[in-house]
Amino acid sequence: MSSKINHHHQNDKTNGQIFPQPCPHLADFHARNGTKPFRAIQDCLHIKPPGGRAAIRRDSSEVPRCGVCGDSSCPRLYACMACAAVSCHVPPHSSHVAIHATKTSSACSHEIAVDVDRAELFCCACRDQVYDRDFDAAVVLAHTTSIIQSSKPENLRKRRRIDYRPWSPDLRERSLMVNNASPIDSMSSSNGDLPRGLRGLNNLGNTCFMNSVLQALFHTPPLRNYFLSDRHNRYYCQSKNGVRLCLACDLDTMFSAIFCGDRMPYSPAKFLYSWWRHASNLASYEQQDAHEFFISMLDGIHEKVEKDQHKPRSQGNGDCCIAHRVFSGILRSDVMCMACGFTSTTFDPCVDFSLDLEPNQGSSMKTSSTKTNHSCNCEADGMNSSQNCGISTLMGCLDRFTRPERLGSDQKFFCQQCQVRQESLKQMSIRKLPLVSCFHIKRFEHSSVRKMSRKVDRYLQFPLSLDMAPYLSSSILRSRFGNRFFPFDGDESNTLNEPSSEFELFAVVTHTGKLDAGHYVTYLRLSNKWYKCDDAWITEVNENTVRAAQGYMMFYVQKMLYYKASEKQGTS
Amino acid sequence: MIESGEKEKLMELLRERLVECGWKDEMKALCRAYIKKKGTNNVTVDDLVHVITPKGRASIPDSIKTELLLRIRAFLASAAL
Repeated sequence: MSSKINHHHQNDKTNGQIFPQPCPHLADFHARNGTKPFRAIQDCLHIKPPGGRAAIRRDSSEVPRCGVCGDSSCPRLYACMACAAVSCHVPPHSSHVAIHATKTSSACSHEIAVDVDRAELFCCACRDQVYDRDFDAAVVLAHTTSIIQSSKPENLRKRRRIDYRPWSPDLRERSLMVNNASPIDSMSSSNGDLPRGLRGLNNLGNTCFMNSVLQALFHTPPLRNYFLSDRHNRYYCQSKNGVRLCLACDLDTMFSAIFCGDRMPYSPAKFLYSWWRHASNLASYEQQDAHEFFISMLDGIHEKVEKDQHKPRSQGNGDCCIAHRVFSGILRSDVMCMACGFTSTTFDPCVDFSLDLEPNQGSSMKTSSTKTNHSCNCEADGMNSSQNCGISTLMGCLDRFTRPERLGSDQKFFCQQCQVRQESLKQMSIRKLPLVSCFHIKRFEHSSVRKMSRKVDRYLQFPLSLDMAPYLSSSILRSRFGNRFFPFDGDESNTLNEPSSEFELFAVVTHTGKLDAGHYVTYLRLSNKWYKCDDAWITEVNENTVRAAQGYMMFYVQKMLYYKASEKQGTS
Repeated sequence: MIESGEKEKLMELLRERLVECGWKDEMKALCRAYIKKKGTNNVTVDDLVHVITPKGRASIPDSIKTELLLRIRAFLASAAL
């Protein structure tokens, strides 16, 4: 057996993608075989539904066998690119493909082979997998021609941007600013150690569901900036003519009240009344669901503010109102027919992500520590290894959300290619991330069958920083197509990691107690300190308290919009 | 069993089960750790396979082994008739 040749594959960057340079044998192969040496294999590329795995077969029913030992059961069989001889490769026992490679003739070299079951290139001399752009192009071409695409054209990207123009104030503007502004520091330091914008909300009768969501919204950076910079002025708002109500105006009132510096708890009575008129089915003194309130409120702002625009665009764009601009993202849903591989893709806007909290996330093989969750030694910030401890994590829930799911025989999907209902595979992914991601954990289960509801108390671990890159459509599609020239996901030096997929946690709404007799509390993160907002009482708490809390809704903002303030308070 | 296409079907089923229970993700993480330790330029596919195989074989859940065995047995019984 030939000795292992160890050499370093240099990486060169093209268009920001890291691309490994070919080994000398691959380069040699290219040189000998013209510009498109792999196109010849195009005919032999068969895509196997439902997983979409690419295989090399001369005809679709061929069973490849090793030319030397007749074995067809070994895990890796390689077909030589030069003479199509199939050999097996089972190191360290036998490697007939390596023996085959030593057969060099003047016409061609037999060093490059292709894995028949995975359609991946292998260099027998280097004993390692190699990558080639041309070959991968052939594979992707085979994928796309075998599956008719019916996805919507990507005209969601057509957004005009205004050119950036630098500005600095002239004398008149400068004097305007000085005369109409008051310094922040002097006011807040006299009011105790709580930073600006923290004010308790009185409970008006089981309204903790509303108070908790409001506290989170008051400190949602883009939303707060919008209202504090007077983008919706309640005195000039048109939609309030007569008896029509405007939830955005009431929200503006509250923002002014919360940030004015007064520390006495505020009673959001007027807002509550307006919201009751908007969502009359929820108008009662009973405890409501905080998430339901959140959705209803976004809906309320949307309806009213939209009247300002004369051309309502599709919701996915988020141009219709501030609520959508901040919270709206686009989900991509791919449904693939198991019989023929035909994939139907739809895009839907969403304002939040509702995730299932299912028990037992893949801990069947490791003995999980049954101690309490915070004494576990796992890193809390978004590492998948925490799954081994048997704890549910937010990333675990997101994995589950984007995992391909087989639709059962009672949910057969009508396939356009087969023209009948077929069993199919469904996979969700995120096409566009919102500025602020709200993750809602489905803790309340309502079973209409058993006519009862219950609450899932299971603890969920959530990170302070979250990278949503693996859940984007681009990543999900990449993993579906297999090991192609898309660069492997390096962890630190991932050049494809757009800055806008990193998020920071800033608010957590928690629920304690039973389904019908519980209490909502919000934890806010300001200047890297955590504050507990329990109706009218606001206190500073330790980060570990927040980590141990039972998260119900978690709010993350895109990192570039999140200001990690310095020690000096007053700016956030 | 291979020629009837049954092996392919069972392989697909096995792949699905292994992804479902998180085995694939585990192996991926192991590979990443190994590559990190050795440095990206010093690892070959053979290397990885050699290192991962024993761990992989050992960590397959019994339920999956049982299921596959039952299916194979059933197929062989029906093919022998």
